[in-house]
Amino acid sequence: MTHDFEKLTQYAKSFTGLTTESEKLLKEVGPQIIPSLSSVTETFYAALALIPETKPYLEGRVEALQAMHTQWLEGLFTKDFDTSYTEAMYKVGDVHVKVKLPVEFMSGGMTLINNQLIPLVVNLYSNDPEKCTKVLSAINAATGFSLLTMQQSYQEASIAEELERFLKISGMSQKLFSNLAAAYKD
Amino acid sequence: MRSDMLTSILNELNGTSADIEASGIISTDGLMMASALPADMDEDRVGAMSAAMLSLGDRTAQELARGTLEQVLIKGDNGYVLMTHAGEEAVLTVLAKPKAKLGLIFLDVKRASASIVDVI
Repeated sequence: MTHDFEKLTQYAKSFTGLTTESEKLLKEVGPQIIPSLSSVTETFYAALALIPETKPYLEGRVEALQAMHTQWLEGLFTKDFDTSYTEAMYKVGDVHVKVKLPVEFMSGGMTLINNQLIPLVVNLYSNDPEKCTKVLSAINAATGFSLLTMQQSYQEASIAEELERFLKISGMSQKLFSNLAAAYKD
Repeated sequence: MRSDMLTSILNELNGTSADIEASGIISTDGLMMASALPADMDEDRVGAMSAAMLSLGDRTAQELARGTLEQVLIKGDNGYVLMTHAGEEAVLTVLAKPKAKLGLIFLDVKRASASIVDVI
């Protein structure tokens, strides 16, 4: 399946309000925030370990997951939110489907992350409320952008997986299904 | 040429009984190979739907231990839809009137299927 990642990037930006200025601001504040991100990750995984539903997905792989997570968090303050970023997040969504991660884990996880980042930012910029607000908005937009692109792939991958199962059960070939869909496209 | 021969089999089939309203020969991936359908009937839809139903019929027969599928018969207020395999690569679909004598139609359809296999 081919995807128009440029279109998805613009779609995600239109929802989250991620602008060139907010991307620039994230890079500007990155050096102050990045040193605290490994602790954000640790707190995040500690919180996940307390949720009975998420715990089984972590067992035996916390260290590897933490390393990837910190790397992604750092990327929020160093990378461009362009088609490459969108494609990477899209693939993360795909992987989540493959390991059968429940869909609510992504939005739940993003809320946990924002809950950690908010006090961190407030603590850093409490003397400049205007900047503090802008940084919080930019972070919210960046995490929202990431969530939206992941969920998009999640939705498509879930449909594709269900279709594959349906074809297997019904005995229909992919070609027959496409012809059937084409016959009813109007 | 082959298409003409298939159409001729369908015309002959439709002529065997006044109860048969329409018929079509469809590839197993749902594309119409030859048809004798009323003008208001969408060939693409008849083709794809017939192949899909037969495929589902195959799986149902298999899953419910009914052996090799012979036919799928659908009855509605306005008549019947009968689908059978015509060899490995084609499906024969027949639309019949509500009060059609099914026994005769089954026989005619069986003969037509054999002729289709010969042509394909």
